[in-house]
Amino acid sequence: MKTGLNTFSIAVKNLRRKIIRTALLFLAVTVVTGTLFSATLFISSMRNALKIGTYRLGADVLVVPEKYVSEARTALLAGEPTSFYMDRAVYEKVKRVEGVKQASPQLFIKPASFTCCYSVDVFLIAFEPATDFTIAPWLEKNLKKPLSGDEIITGREVPLITGDTVPFFGTPFKVIGTMEPTGMKFFDRSAFMTMDAAYTMAANSKANSMQPIDLDRSRISAVLVRVQDGYTPDRVAIRLEHDIEGIKAIASDEIINTVRKQLGGLLKGILAVSAVLWILALLMMGFAFSMMVNERQRELGLLRAMGAKRGYIFRLIITEAVIISAAGGIAGLAGGSVLLLAFKGPILSSLKLPYLVPSATVLAELTAGALVFAMITGLLSSLLPAISASTMEPYAAIRKGE
Amino acid sequence: MLKDGIMIDIRNVTKTYGIGGQTVKAVDKVSFAMGTGEIVSIIGHSGSGKTTLLSLVGGLTKPDSGSVVIDGKDIWSMDDDSLSELRNRKISFIFQFSSLVPTLTALENIMLPTTFGNYGKDVEGYARELLGLVGLADKADSYPSQLSGGQQRRVAVARAFINRPEVVLADEPTGDLDEETEREVIELFKRMNRERKTAFLLVTHSSELAGQAGRQLRMSSGSVLPFINTVSHRER
Ligand SMILES: Nc1ncnc2c1ncn2[C@@H]1O[C@H](COP(=O)(O)OP(=O)(O)OP(=O)(O)O)[C@@H](O)[C@H]1O
Ligand SMILES: [Mg+2]
Repeated sequence: MKTGLNTFSIAVKNLRRKIIRTALLFLAVTVVTGTLFSATLFISSMRNALKIGTYRLGADVLVVPEKYVSEARTALLAGEPTSFYMDRAVYEKVKRVEGVKQASPQLFIKPASFTCCYSVDVFLIAFEPATDFTIAPWLEKNLKKPLSGDEIITGREVPLITGDTVPFFGTPFKVIGTMEPTGMKFFDRSAFMTMDAAYTMAANSKANSMQPIDLDRSRISAVLVRVQDGYTPDRVAIRLEHDIEGIKAIASDEIINTVRKQLGGLLKGILAVSAVLWILALLMMGFAFSMMVNERQRELGLLRAMGAKRGYIFRLIITEAVIISAAGGIAGLAGGSVLLLAFKGPILSSLKLPYLVPSATVLAELTAGALVFAMITGLLSSLLPAISASTMEPYAAIRKGE
Repeated sequence: MLKDGIMIDIRNVTKTYGIGGQTVKAVDKVSFAMGTGEIVSIIGHSGSGKTTLLSLVGGLTKPDSGSVVIDGKDIWSMDDDSLSELRNRKISFIFQFSSLVPTLTALENIMLPTTFGNYGKDVEGYARELLGLVGLADKADSYPSQLSGGQQRRVAVARAFINRPEVVLADEPTGDLDEETEREVIELFKRMNRERKTAFLLVTHSSELAGQAGRQLRMSSGSVLPFINTVSHRER
């Protein structure tokens, strides 16, 4: 015998009866879940990028020329290539400042976009292998050898693969590795070489390239600093600025805090919008379900006359709501993901913030969370109508519906 | 107090409705008893309280005063779930007006009461048999909207027997049926009464149907009048 006469199938049949209303409710849940899901995913992606990026940066304080602070910040967060230089003497001074545990100079070189036949827009970062504590550990782990003078490693978004050879300022470099994605364009769009290689490249550029760079060995772009235990990056940054003329020391948690604040504002805005949407959806569903219970009073009373218990009527109404909200929740997840993919680019380029999709576990949690949220919306909105339907006196319900 | 064989015992039952300051005594101090397998008919003018009385007997509405005892139990001392079970197991209603669920087929409508309790496996077989007994074997998969008023009524009649009830409370069960179809329904009632000792409390204006009853109650303004005429006990 095959007649699906269970609560679920009866609920589905009822939903089909008023297909337009069902569709509207479904849509409401879809919009709310979609908004919430895409917004949360967006924000947690930015947070994630920030976390991984600073971890990868590995420095507590970044020392840059005073005049170029804002360039340095955008370079770090949005990966916009810039070049700025200061005297190597700064590095020597930094090393001696109280609270500094390790320091290492770096060079940032913004290549001309028509460097050669390749229209590869990469940011060149040169580090000093002897003192470096940010790239070297990665090299040790993944390459098991130091970088030689004609080799580079590239960030994930650089369209080159291991084995490729690419010229910068007339000097060919061989790609020997690719970094994992960090979400920070500063890393993902960069090529890393040794300082020595960079100076040599600069010296040869006068002969080899139509775009020579003027860069001698007395110049560096920044000094990366790690502070001693017991010192906060803030304190050391203040001391650095006090002790050394013409520099700006940016504590990495300061960068993060600024961005956190920005994100926090964004999050509040999105949460407010979502809350309003949610309340609207709740009201709309609540209204629709009380209307539905009202219309079906007679029918529900008849079910009671045939022996349906209060719990059955309650479950029937709740089941209808949960079916709508589960379906709407799934559609919202799909729709939200599509929207996010479509608008991520433009939003990010206007916000100038890093972005990296979180791990599968976090993603699964977010997805499950959004679904549960959708279901709770359905449950909540149908709770009162379900209670009123199940506690009606059968005879009164039957008569009222006549 | 209860004699053996008494299934329904209604004592001093009153039900009042208040509409804007005015009160209507829909049922006024009514007492009567019904034995197992008995057929009782109720007649009375429109508004005299017949439907209200049926719903009081079936526990669909709570009396203001008085008691409703079924199988020796005061139904209003039970909890709601037990009362629901009692309705599901022992009582069936045939309502005055359309009472089919529009989203379910005729067959599904007949089987519907069995989803509220534990019934055996071959519910569908019995449902089809009942559908045949009301002459609608070919309408199993039709929806109520595809059936005529009389056909819908017959599906409701068939549904009343799916749970093999002890008593059927029927409100104008042959109301919109032609004589021929009415006779079929009466045959079904008689058969159930004979084979399963099903009792019937019938509200009807049809003399044909009322003629099946061993006793007749007459209602007027909420009261059951003393018997004026005892319908001759016809051969059943
Ligand atoms: N829910 C209610 N609210 C107010 N008054 C009601 C209600 N139910 C019934 N009544 C009143 O109670 C009285 C009896 O109604 P009931 O339906 O029992 O009559 P009836 O004998 O079945 O009539 P009919 O033959 O027309 O079906 C009527 O006066 C009716 O108006
Ligand atoms: Mg009536």
